[in-house]
Formats: sequence, C-alpha cells, structure tokens
Amino acid sequence: MTVETFAATGAASSGITLERKTLKALCRRSDLPGLIYLGKWALALVISGYGVYLALGTTWVWLAALIYGTVLSVPVYAMSHETAHGTAFRSRWLNETVMWICALLYLEEPLHRRYTHTNHHTYTWHVGKDSQISDIPMTFPIWLDEVSGFGLIRSHFRILTQLAAARYTETMKSVIPADEFPRLRRNAWCFLGFYVAIGVAIGLGATWLWWFLVLPTLLGRTVMLLFTVIQHVEMAENSPSILNSTRSCKSSPIASFLYLNMENHVEHHLYPQVPFFALPALHRELKDQLPTPDPGFWRTNIEVLSVVMRRSLGRGTKARTIRQAPHMITDGGTAP
Amino acid sequence: MTKEVYVCETADIDEEDVKRFDYEDQTYCVYHTPDGFFASDGYCTHEEQHLEDGIVIDNVIECPLHQGRFDVRSGKALSAPVCVDLKTYPVVIKDGRVYLCLETEPVT
Ligand code: FES
Repeated sequence: MTVETFAATGAASSGITLERKTLKALCRRSDLPGLIYLGKWALALVISGYGVYLALGTTWVWLAALIYGTVLSVPVYAMSHETAHGTAFRSRWLNETVMWICALLYLEEPLHRRYTHTNHHTYTWHVGKDSQISDIPMTFPIWLDEVSGFGLIRSHFRILTQLAAARYTETMKSVIPADEFPRLRRNAWCFLGFYVAIGVAIGLGATWLWWFLVLPTLLGRTVMLLFTVIQHVEMAENSPSILNSTRSCKSSPIASFLYLNMENHVEHHLYPQVPFFALPALHRELKDQLPTPDPGFWRTNIEVLSVVMRRSLGRGTKARTIRQAPHMITDGGTAP
Repeated sequence: MTKEVYVCETADIDEEDVKRFDYEDQTYCVYHTPDGFFASDGYCTHEEQHLEDGIVIDNVIECPLHQGRFDVRSGKALSAPVCVDLKTYPVVIKDGRVYLCLETEPVT
C-alpha cells in the first residue's frame, strides 16, 4: 500500500503526542482488573438488589429499583462499549462472553454495536458520518427524548427488527461487510426471541423479572444516558480535534466505577486502544496538553440542561462552567 | 525474484512490539512476537490507519483505531471490524539483523 496520511479523529488529528514506550505500557492488557471489576459489580448488584427485595410491596420499591437499575445499567453500557473495543480483558473469550451478556442487557446486537461504533471514532462528532451524533444544537425536546431513554429504546428495537427482517439501512451497509449480515440477522432473531420470552414469562406470573430486570433497566437507563449525553453535547461538530469535539469531566469514585473511568472521554477518543483501567493514568500523562475537565457529573448535567432549556426558550445559551463551542453560544431570540 | 532489505537490528524491536518500516513508496510493519519476527503491510485493511501504534499481544497485532485484530504470522483477520486479511512478507534474520524479503519486478 502506498504511503499516505490519513486523519481519523484521534491523537494525531488533535496534535496530541505521547511517548511510544508510555503508550505501550498504558495499552498493556490484563484480565485481572476486569475480573476484579466484575466481582465488585456483582457485589454491588446483590446489595442494591436486596434493597429492591426489601422494598417490594411498598412505594419505596421505585427508589430502590432506580438505585439498583443505576448499578445495573451504567456498567452494562460501559462494559458493552469497552468489550466492543475489545480492551476489557486480555483473554479474547472473556471479552466476547462479557460483550454478549452486556449487549443482551443493553438491547443492541453486539456486532452491530462493534461495527457502527467504528465511525464514531473515525469521524467523531462529524455530521452525516458519525452514526452516534445527536441533533445539533440540542434543544429541550431532544434532550428529553434522549435522557428519558425512549429515543434509545426506540432506536435499539428498530435496529433489531431491521436486522431480523434483513432491511439493512445505508448506515449499516456503509460500516458492515455484506457477508456479515447473515450473522447479525441470526443474532437479532435470538435477541428478539429472548425479549419476547421475558415478556411472556412476566405475563405468566414471573413478576420478579419485572422488578429485578425490566423496571430497573428502564429506570437505570435514564441515569446511564445522563452519563453519555454530556460526552459531546455543546462541543464543536466537524472538528478534526478531539479537544474541540469531546468533553471530559471530573468524577466521584462511585461515578468513575459505574462508568469504567469513561469520564476521561477526551483521553478515550485520543487513544481508544487504552483499556478502561489505564484511563486515569493516561489522563495524568496527557493533562498538560488537555483542557481542564468540566465539573462533575451533576454540575455538568445541570449546566447542559440549563443551556438546552434556555435555547428552547429563545434565551442566551452561554454556559458558565462547562466548555462549549463558540458557535453554540447565542444571545437568544432564536428559539427553534 | 526476491530481495532482502535491511530493516533494523533484532534488538531494536522489543518482544511483543511493532516497528514501522518505509521502503521506496511502500510502508510496512515488522513485528517481534514470542514466535519470532514477521512483517506485513503497514496499513490496516479496514480503514487507512497505520498499524505502527498498534499493540502486539502474542502473535496478534491490534489496530489502534478500532481494535481490529490480525494474526501477524498469516495476516489472517481475526475479529470485527476487520474482515480482509493483511498481506504478509517473509522475514529473515542474519547475524542479529532483520531483513524483509520483497518481490522484485521482473526485468523485461
Ligand atoms: S482501521 Fe483498523 S480496525 Fe478500523
């Protein structure tokens, strides 16, 4: 192949450098951190699930299901993402096993997830090229649709039915090789069959599936989406620089745990080959080259909500405490 | 006809590591794995991403952009998103030096 330059969005296109030896050390794979993580996650699920059990039959069950659902859904998302990259474990079989289980709980066929996620890295936040981009600029109705989880569930079931019916979209055809489609189609049928079986089981009286799986998944997704919505919103679209298109946030230890350190989102996009357990170390290596991370999970989300509400009301959209692309800032009077 | 092109000393590539090698108007990657030295085209077959920043695990090179994986001994694509095999080239080691074996154009 002829020597040529190619600028997928990443460290090179963002002007970020890291010594090769350091990068190699950070990329080192291991099963141990992932296995320890799975152990702690299982423990957290047992404890929070016990809270749901104690609260059954009372109105507290909704709060307990929200907490348990958060412990379930945020790591399901984060682990499905990490295993789609193949970086969660050194052993491939372990990575793929966890990917399948998490994909089943995340409601997305795993190969579809892996293939479509590629253009999110090649063309991060590029309109018409990044299949994970949301409507820009974000308004309150779009925010509500996204954060409520309705948009994602609609999208996941639409994708599963499209795959099952072999109605492949242009986006799918652009990132998935044609000879892979039969596998995706078979998997989509299996996933849909699993979800129908859960529905039937609940209908036949297995209500524990409702309280311990379906309801927590629905409630926990909202919290999960609050993590993901702040990754790129209000940042610059179509920029070659990850520093302009992507946001990192400070984070509490609990949020970092649930999110597999993915609050270091700029760092992840710069070097997607670095596994989740090395992201804090990657942040320390790069911090002099990077903008200061935005405030923590809650403050960043409140600021984003404030901006999108003001945009929908036709008011000024300047954020006070989070990074924002200059063209996202208006004086108001232009309510969409 | 093949020619042997000097790449580097064997000690220049750590075990489980990769080195970029540009020659004439082509680019290659040379790998040092537990099974020895191997070479392939420099670019991933998925998108135009050079493999020089990839990570070598056993006999596998993982692409830095989307983590597609190839067996460097055969060039076989091992996991999505890569599906097309990587072209590989023979490597010979002589006196602690790594040589890449390339086909030469037949003289007409
Ligand atoms: S460019 Fe190599 S896996 Fe996508």
